[in-house]
Amino acid sequence: MRRALGALAHYWPIAAVFVGWDLWVVLNGYTTVVAPRPGLVLADIAAEPGAYAGDLLRTLLTSLVGLVLGMGVGILAAIAVWSSAAVSGVVTPAALVLRSVPVTAMIPVIARVAGYGDSSILLIIVVVSFFPAFVLTVSGLAATPAAGRDLFGVLGAGRLRTLVRLQLPHAVPHVMVAFRLTAPSAVLAALLAEYLVGTGGLGHLFSTARSYMELERAWGTALLATVVSVLVFVLARGAERRVGARFS
Amino acid sequence: MAQTTPSPAPTLTVAPPAAVALSGVGKTFELSRGRAVSALEDLDLHVAEGEFVAIVGPSGCGKSTVLRMVAGLERPSTGTVVVEGRSPRELARSHRLGVAFQEHALLPWSSIRGNVALPFHLAGRPVDAARVDELVRLVGLEGFESARPRQLSGGMRQRAAIARALVLRPDVLLLDEPFGALDAVTRRRMNRELARIWSEERITTVLVTHDVEEALFLADRVVVMTGRPGRVRHVHRVDFPRPREAAITRSPEFHEAVDLLTGLLDAEGTA
Repeated sequence: MRRALGALAHYWPIAAVFVGWDLWVVLNGYTTVVAPRPGLVLADIAAEPGAYAGDLLRTLLTSLVGLVLGMGVGILAAIAVWSSAAVSGVVTPAALVLRSVPVTAMIPVIARVAGYGDSSILLIIVVVSFFPAFVLTVSGLAATPAAGRDLFGVLGAGRLRTLVRLQLPHAVPHVMVAFRLTAPSAVLAALLAEYLVGTGGLGHLFSTARSYMELERAWGTALLATVVSVLVFVLARGAERRVGARFS
Repeated sequence: MAQTTPSPAPTLTVAPPAAVALSGVGKTFELSRGRAVSALEDLDLHVAEGEFVAIVGPSGCGKSTVLRMVAGLERPSTGTVVVEGRSPRELARSHRLGVAFQEHALLPWSSIRGNVALPFHLAGRPVDAARVDELVRLVGLEGFESARPRQLSGGMRQRAAIARALVLRPDVLLLDEPFGALDAVTRRRMNRELARIWSEERITTVLVTHDVEEALFLADRVVVMTGRPGRVRHVHRVDFPRPREAAITRSPEFHEAVDLLTGLLDAEGTA
């Protein structure tokens, strides 16, 4: 009983969302075509979890692969920029251009070039995940304390050893900030790209359910996408704190 | 008018070759808009093999700059710095220098053992675990090998930094106020420990400090520097027998020496 009360104290806003949603539909007298009641949506998810599971898994997997690839490319680009002024002159402006164009505007272009399918979606997530990892790794590499650099200099460490044993570990908390910032956007980018150009995943499921007027399914997809986004954010924040504490 | 007679061999100096030799060293730092400040001028300092020399001076006299030049972190603007017959950078590249600065610069993600073993990794040598353990014991950190730096007190971190400085048996040990951030009591205790450790290792050592008592307790010679631009003002030979105990700090000779050197520093401070 007490635990139930504790949970209620903690999670009442979630319950309030569902109650508010229900009231909003009922009081306005909306039909299911306009907006289904939450009970119907939850019932659809409970009745046919298999209809969602495959697409959910696909979205999560695509997001994860794209995130890892994008951050990996960002970190490598940061190391390249750190190691050579010539590379920095090429990579930095390109990264800024990539950043300035909104991803939504890029999706049709990317799909035209890379084809309507998973490769485009991955590419879009990579574009979204690249920049924060790039910028924060550059600043992490540059922010190595002078005392550490002096120590490594006196101990006769070469550039590569200084990078691997001092600067990169020092940049880890910065990279984790990038991870926390990027992980939810990667999921968002995946959903958006699937919705616009995909052949599967939650975004695609939403788009097809809507066009077949399966409104419970469409809303169920949106609900799942919201839950997934929130969970990804919470997990990423936890990882950032944990790893950040380990490295500082 | 070519001289054909063979010239006599250059006369050998009587003194043994110095482990650290600064000759006519000057250092100017460029400030903004072409202004420059002269930190050191015409400084001569020779440290013999196995000798412990402490440098004291008013703050801003460039004593840390002296140490950074011996460490190869700065180049002199004039004059030469030679360590073990080579340039400091060469010596650093062959991993023959040990340093402990006021900032311990321990790697926060690494254990105490990992930090003490770091010089092996940076030199690309296999870690000699026995040597690492020996040094952890020598500085009194046994039982804390797997602790991380932030779990230790300030004094313990500095001990770890000193163990790290000694682990490769360096030719020259450079200490820049290694206990500067510690409270007075811990600092005195650390100095007693350092005296004990040093009498076991006997490495050529240069210590920079602003604490006259610390310098007299630890060093064979104390070099007093002038205010900016820094020069050698006075060299004081310390003859207390080793190993030194805390008792010598209560002797009249010790107090006399402290008064003498403090007087010299005060005169510099007001000059």
